[in-house]
Amino acid sequence: MPPRIVVVGGGAAGIGAAGSAKQVDPEARVTVYTEFEDAAYSPCGIPYVHGREIPDFQSLFLQGKEVYRQAGIDIHYETRVTELDLGRRQVMVDGEGGVPFDRLVVASGFHYADPGIPGAELEGLYYVKNIRKAMEWDRVLDDVRVAVVLEASPLGLEMVTALAHRGIETHLVDAHPWPLAEIADPDIMQPVEESWAELGVKTHLNTRAEALVGDGRVRAVRTSEGELPANIVVVCTHKQPSNELAERAGLKLGSTGGIVVDERMTTSAEGVFAAGDCVELPHGVTNIPVQGLSGSHAYAQGKVAGANAAGGARAYRPVYVPWGMVAGKWMIGGASFGETLATALGMPFVMGVAEGISRARYYPGVKKVRVKLLAEPGNLRLIGGQLVGQEGIKERADFLAMAIRAGMTLEDLAWMENVYSPPIGALNEPIAVAAQNGMASVRG
Amino acid sequence: MVAFSQWLRGNSERYLLERAQTEMARRYLDRPGPPAEPGLGPMFWRRVFVPVYRRLPWSLRRAVIQAIPGSHRRHWQAREPVRRPPLV
Repeated sequence: MPPRIVVVGGGAAGIGAAGSAKQVDPEARVTVYTEFEDAAYSPCGIPYVHGREIPDFQSLFLQGKEVYRQAGIDIHYETRVTELDLGRRQVMVDGEGGVPFDRLVVASGFHYADPGIPGAELEGLYYVKNIRKAMEWDRVLDDVRVAVVLEASPLGLEMVTALAHRGIETHLVDAHPWPLAEIADPDIMQPVEESWAELGVKTHLNTRAEALVGDGRVRAVRTSEGELPANIVVVCTHKQPSNELAERAGLKLGSTGGIVVDERMTTSAEGVFAAGDCVELPHGVTNIPVQGLSGSHAYAQGKVAGANAAGGARAYRPVYVPWGMVAGKWMIGGASFGETLATALGMPFVMGVAEGISRARYYPGVKKVRVKLLAEPGNLRLIGGQLVGQEGIKERADFLAMAIRAGMTLEDLAWMENVYSPPIGALNEPIAVAAQNGMASVRG
Repeated sequence: MVAFSQWLRGNSERYLLERAQTEMARRYLDRPGPPAEPGLGPMFWRRVFVPVYRRLPWSLRRAVIQAIPGSHRRHWQAREPVRRPPLV
């Protein structure tokens, strides 16, 4: 009898799990439940449609619904799972009752943290997540003159840039001294702030949002520095795991609120797997659990969970979190962590910094690239890095994550081979120069 | 235990980051740190927890962090070791 695999959630992790389960066992009966109208689209692309870099929302869909039907994946759209009954090996589904399973994959995703200020019930607050809502909001944006973005999170940075591209007067309110201050270092973010200023963005840093003001509909944000008028407010608070079902079912949760899993993505209950924004995973350097990573992490975890649910034997690995994005006219990125987080943790580290270039110095379009590397004192093993530039940032971030995972040292990087081709790479690779500088600082 | 570990992590992360951000903002941007929230709770974390944490050796801090329940206590493949010592 082929196994009945139920997947709760139709985001990147859920769809990854369903597809992977069918690959491992084509006979498996795979059912996906999602509360939304669609599955398998790229929510990460939404800010770029708002910013007019992408012409329409249709391009964000990966597959049509028919493709999943043909693949034997039974997706139930706009269908809510209300209970995970692990004792009876069934999920309770609105309109369907008890649906039995042999293996379960929980991919229940995330929700944005409550901003924790009065006025959260007002209309005119935009939480960027669902593509159908985004389509409606995109029409609203045509008539918006002033927008306030709450919190300089990764999504906040993307939305600030998108709204500014759209010609909307954009204000960013954040309680930290620089944008993305929980992830990126201030020297990495400084060029971004400058380019936002050129775009007309008004940044209100070290500023707390105290209330959303309005009568039915938001008309202003009251902050510690005064009131900012707003036609809409884009709420870009932290991603929190949506684990109400998992918690009620008795699955173990960790210190992040994410579901506890092992490298096979198995939870504390037999035959129950979990993946994506609802789980927590160990960071490869510190072993501290982290939660709420990127869509590529969620998809890869889903593939592992789905394969194992279908009887496979795949393992996910601790994460080194390569990240990157465009903010203003800059690309920023990194891997593992930077100076701020290492300082907060109190980790000992040595650092190498370099300002390099992205192409040969004489080639048109050459851009500056700033690289910062962190390594353990003593053995000089790489533990993190951050970058800012205008090209080649994503590739370097991915490379650094692999270098950290592989246990490479500053010395390995200092004398690495690199591509030299005038239109795409300089004689001196900026990562190598940063590593050489780090070694020089150790020698004194 | 889980509720406690979430509370402990949430607060310790917040106030340790706040202190680090204050130092980094001063060093790189010549700006002040995040505005301090009033109240006894924030004062405890800022004036007692953060200084005590910072005085502990990294090995002890690391041991405490590892003791908190979570995914890191289950089976995961370890990071690759350094293959040779540096020449510096």
